[in-house]
Amino acid sequence: MSQALTSGLKIGREMDPDLAMLTGEGAQQRVKQAEPDAGSIVPLWRQVSSRPAESPPDYYRLPLLKEPVWIWSVPAYFYLGGVAGGCAVLAAALPGKRRFDALASWCRLLACAGVTVGPALLTWDLGKMTRFLNMLRVFRPSSPMSVGSWSLAGTGMLATLSLLLGKKAPSSVRYGTAFGGVMVAGYTGVLLGNTANPLWLEKRRLLPPLFIASAIASTAGALELRPLNQHEEKVVQRFGMVGKVGEAAAMVAMERRTPTNKEAVYGVEKGRGGLLWNAAKVALVAGVVLDLIPAKSTARRKASGVLTTLGAICLRYALLETGKDAAREPQAVIGPQRRRMQGGG
Amino acid sequence: MTATGFFTDTSVCIGCKACEVACKQWNQLPADGNFFSGRSYDNTIHLEATTWRHVAFVERSLQLSGQITARPFSWLLMSDVCKHCERAGCLEACPTGAIVRTEFESVYVQPDVCNGCGYCVVCCPFGVINRREDDGRAWKCTLCYDRQKAGGEPACAKACPTDSITFGKLDELREIARKRLELLHSRGVHEAYLYGMTDDDQPGTEGLHAFFLLLDRPEAYNLPPKPTVPTKGVGASWGTMGVAAAGMVAAAVAAVRFVEGGKK
Repeated sequence: MSQALTSGLKIGREMDPDLAMLTGEGAQQRVKQAEPDAGSIVPLWRQVSSRPAESPPDYYRLPLLKEPVWIWSVPAYFYLGGVAGGCAVLAAALPGKRRFDALASWCRLLACAGVTVGPALLTWDLGKMTRFLNMLRVFRPSSPMSVGSWSLAGTGMLATLSLLLGKKAPSSVRYGTAFGGVMVAGYTGVLLGNTANPLWLEKRRLLPPLFIASAIASTAGALELRPLNQHEEKVVQRFGMVGKVGEAAAMVAMERRTPTNKEAVYGVEKGRGGLLWNAAKVALVAGVVLDLIPAKSTARRKASGVLTTLGAICLRYALLETGKDAAREPQAVIGPQRRRMQGGG
Repeated sequence: MTATGFFTDTSVCIGCKACEVACKQWNQLPADGNFFSGRSYDNTIHLEATTWRHVAFVERSLQLSGQITARPFSWLLMSDVCKHCERAGCLEACPTGAIVRTEFESVYVQPDVCNGCGYCVVCCPFGVINRREDDGRAWKCTLCYDRQKAGGEPACAKACPTDSITFGKLDELREIARKRLELLHSRGVHEAYLYGMTDDDQPGTEGLHAFFLLLDRPEAYNLPPKPTVPTKGVGASWGTMGVAAAGMVAAAVAAVRFVEGGKK
């Protein structure tokens, strides 16, 4: 960001006032940097001419984009939708054997709960709650939110049907719910990636896998809290391990600082979003560590379930908060676009 | 109907804010309260749900070409507005169909349909549209659809004393803009350029129906240098989602099979 920090020769203040809140007496002084021809070794007696460091142009550092207006209920829905999707898929994959009956009915229940409570939470966030049916006024493939609304409506009906019919549900209903569940679990990643928000846009290819993997993990996390028999426990743990490893991998990939948008990441590290993101990491890793302890114990399983659930919830709030942080930073929008222009792209 | 729009020539803007006031008055938008920003003469700060025109004041210790002053000082002024993109991020993202293209090819939010989901807010690459706290709906410049319907010109253009805001048919505006640019260049104002006039200038939005003649880099006015409507690249996200979804199904099947296989 600041050339003064990267150049070998530092003259004047070494801290860029753009990077920190400076309140001291000389806080208004601009960072100076050496003229490029000063050379690497400068004799003491030679006065080095310097010029103020030019910060990249923007408009009084005011935000260029609007922040997302979504409130707490939206990340909460992201979590519930993920659980519903994972449960719908697992319910469809479970064989109709008696020892899996309890797990299958739990899955149907959670799937139905997720896709009915979830839309209620989404409606709570709407500015005009009374108009929530307008979501189903048109179908617009270019809008992931429209695709998601229809998936949610369809899955809601199928999941309710599945729950009512229970074991007798025809395979078309089971597979239909599973398909809808996958859509509900994954479209949210596409929804965030398909925005002008510098952080989400940057990670548009990573967000859907992150949401799907986290949906698997949070499904397992929720099911691990239930009483499970030996076979069910194995299924849930194996399914969950795939999700947790996938979630961890996606989070690592998200964190890799691509040089295309270091400004967005910089803004994110300081804020509440960064804190939530780190909490999600810690909870996820702790859950995995508990899973890997070979001793058999219900308490351990439940603790792992709690940690995984906490991690998944923190992750979703972290994504919203970091998105807000990134939208506040004008250079996060300008920087990458400017570099793309210079690169001729 | 032919497409109409704005050509905002910032080289003749005097920062009088008549456009801001005219817009507020005609559209009956509420005041934004007493707020002192301390930043030049700009207390409006940005376009908002209740501010559909915003005059930016870029105050600098620099001399513009052709400017003769005792010490280097200049103002760049620009009246910002919704760009009414040819491919509009808000319109393509709106799940209710509340945002439509009018017969004048402007982008219009139907207040009786908007349910305030807020998706257009994050999908606008210019940060124009926003949701009102009190009202719960998204609002932005309508290009004075009501006035145009009656054959009039938008309130801001009508009020502009220097014709910095020119309203008209898009083809004619482009002609005016090109001539104005030529004139400025011939007078030695080489910084002048047209921002987002056509698809060639701004492929990310395929051209703006409210375009600008600027005298500095777009970011100095808080405009994105290379905006892209997000929906233009949504295929990549759906693609990776498809792969991940297949992975989810495979994980479920494998988890069940593995346990079952072990029992046999």
